[in-house]
Amino acid sequence: MNNFSRVILSTLCYLFFFISCSIFAEETEFNTQNTADTNKEFNWSDYKKPWMDDFQVHGFLSQGLFSSSGNNVYGKSKDSVSAGSTELGLNLSYQALNNLSFAVQGLYRRAGEITGSEGEVSLDFAFIDYTFFRHNKGRLGVRGGRVKNPWGLYNETRDVASTHPTIFLPLAYFERSRSLFLSMDGAQFYTDYNTSVGDFSFKFNLGVTNPSDKELLLAVTRNPFSTGSLASDLSFLANLNYDINNGEYIFAISYANLGLKYNNAMPTDPNQNLDIKIDSLMLSAQYNGEKFSLTGEYSLQWNQFNNLYDPAEQKITDSHPVSEHWYIQTGYRVLDNLQFTLRYDSSTQDISDRDGTAFAIRYNHALPNYLGFTKDIVFGARWDITPAWMVRAEYHRVHGTSTLSALDNPDIFNLVEDWNIYALQVAYQF
Amino acid sequence: MKFNFSNTKIKHKKQYSLCSMLLGFLLAFSLPSAYATEVISHPDNSEQLKELGNLRAIFGMRTLYWPNGEKIRLIVLPDDHPLHKQFVKEKLHIFPHQLRRTWNRLIYTGTGQAPITVNSMAEMQELINQTKNSIGYIDNGGQYE
Repeated sequence: MNNFSRVILSTLCYLFFFISCSIFAEETEFNTQNTADTNKEFNWSDYKKPWMDDFQVHGFLSQGLFSSSGNNVYGKSKDSVSAGSTELGLNLSYQALNNLSFAVQGLYRRAGEITGSEGEVSLDFAFIDYTFFRHNKGRLGVRGGRVKNPWGLYNETRDVASTHPTIFLPLAYFERSRSLFLSMDGAQFYTDYNTSVGDFSFKFNLGVTNPSDKELLLAVTRNPFSTGSLASDLSFLANLNYDINNGEYIFAISYANLGLKYNNAMPTDPNQNLDIKIDSLMLSAQYNGEKFSLTGEYSLQWNQFNNLYDPAEQKITDSHPVSEHWYIQTGYRVLDNLQFTLRYDSSTQDISDRDGTAFAIRYNHALPNYLGFTKDIVFGARWDITPAWMVRAEYHRVHGTSTLSALDNPDIFNLVEDWNIYALQVAYQF
Repeated sequence: MKFNFSNTKIKHKKQYSLCSMLLGFLLAFSLPSAYATEVISHPDNSEQLKELGNLRAIFGMRTLYWPNGEKIRLIVLPDDHPLHKQFVKEKLHIFPHQLRRTWNRLIYTGTGQAPITVNSMAEMQELINQTKNSIGYIDNGGQYE
């Protein structure tokens, strides 16, 4: 409720900004045109039109259906069918002046147990964008407010189904770390530089993330009775993107330095002094041809969990696991609107314990070693029926359970190591 | 390309006629596709259109303003329209899915605005004539009338 009212309040603030600024812009438009064409008769449509052209509304909607063997995804999909993933977004953008614009996007999302069946509403982004400097070779500017994090190839638009090739994003973007990387409240400094050999773009986000997510807390503490919540320290994320021939070849490097602290814990909570630092690096490369496409991303994440209560050893320790995610993905367009995708995807919780054996031993084999990794082979087909409507289907053969949602799979002692996912999705965008 | 003409007059003539025949064929086959799509703008911007240069940067939303500082109003046909596909391949030398990727990224991160989409060439021409600072494209070959 608290969160919801904050969302509403900020939406209202931005609406207020929109209205006041549009009035201001209309006035300036009116004044300049008026002085230029003093001899002309007044015609309201001359003034209304430019305002409308600078204002845009867009949105997206997707619904998924899932069935699986062994473990649950997006609700109760095991030996059943779950419709537990729904995403609906609506955005407004307004180019008030040539160097000043506003954008806001609201998101409604259902994603299995974490959001519950009624779903959650959130403010996805809301910012003021000011360009300091602009010429035909590039620009330099700042966005202030809530901005999306340019993490890898897909994070910025991770909730817009049509912007990524498969229903499930690669494991590097797994849902548990969603709230860590999703967006930042603060500022984004950006610069673009266009050259004859390609286009460079650099974004630097500075601010706080919104990690008050039960799933993330449970993954870190392994304690379902945690009394506090995670909050963000000042964090930053940077992305350098090099793009040849309008996205025929894309190379990117992303780096994040995120800090988390544990707040509002009861004095009896063993994790009350928990402090987390995460350094993450992602390398991305993509080729987009007329028919064939090839994508690869590799990420290493250095985690520092200080003063963490270890339920296995029953004491407070510092642990520093390094996790690794990578995948290679090929796509082939049989027709302009029919594309097949094949991906091999790998995720390792701790590269010093790749098969999770040391982890299982620490827990006296009460917890399985396959909580330490996930390998996934995906085969998918996507049909863009019209530019607005899309359907796709995919099959996953999964080995390991490290990326599973603990909320969708509360019975952690009965996870299955080798399992399947069948998924279907329909999506609309405008 | 270099041609090795021999010294005798007859051979010279023969080769000439062969060359012109080939050239004729080339023209006949290349004309309809090479000249079918053409960039158009609002009449007031026609002079500036020549100075604009890199079309790919305009349709890829990297060049956003006319040389006089006014915002470019980009008007396009739907992604699956044959004329759009032909224009993107012939004039921009890329593929429609690459443009869509760029536009989606701008729209759904709030960092840019999408081109205005119209459904037919007639609508395109009408909107271009009505909209100051607009750019679009038409078909000269009459294939998509």
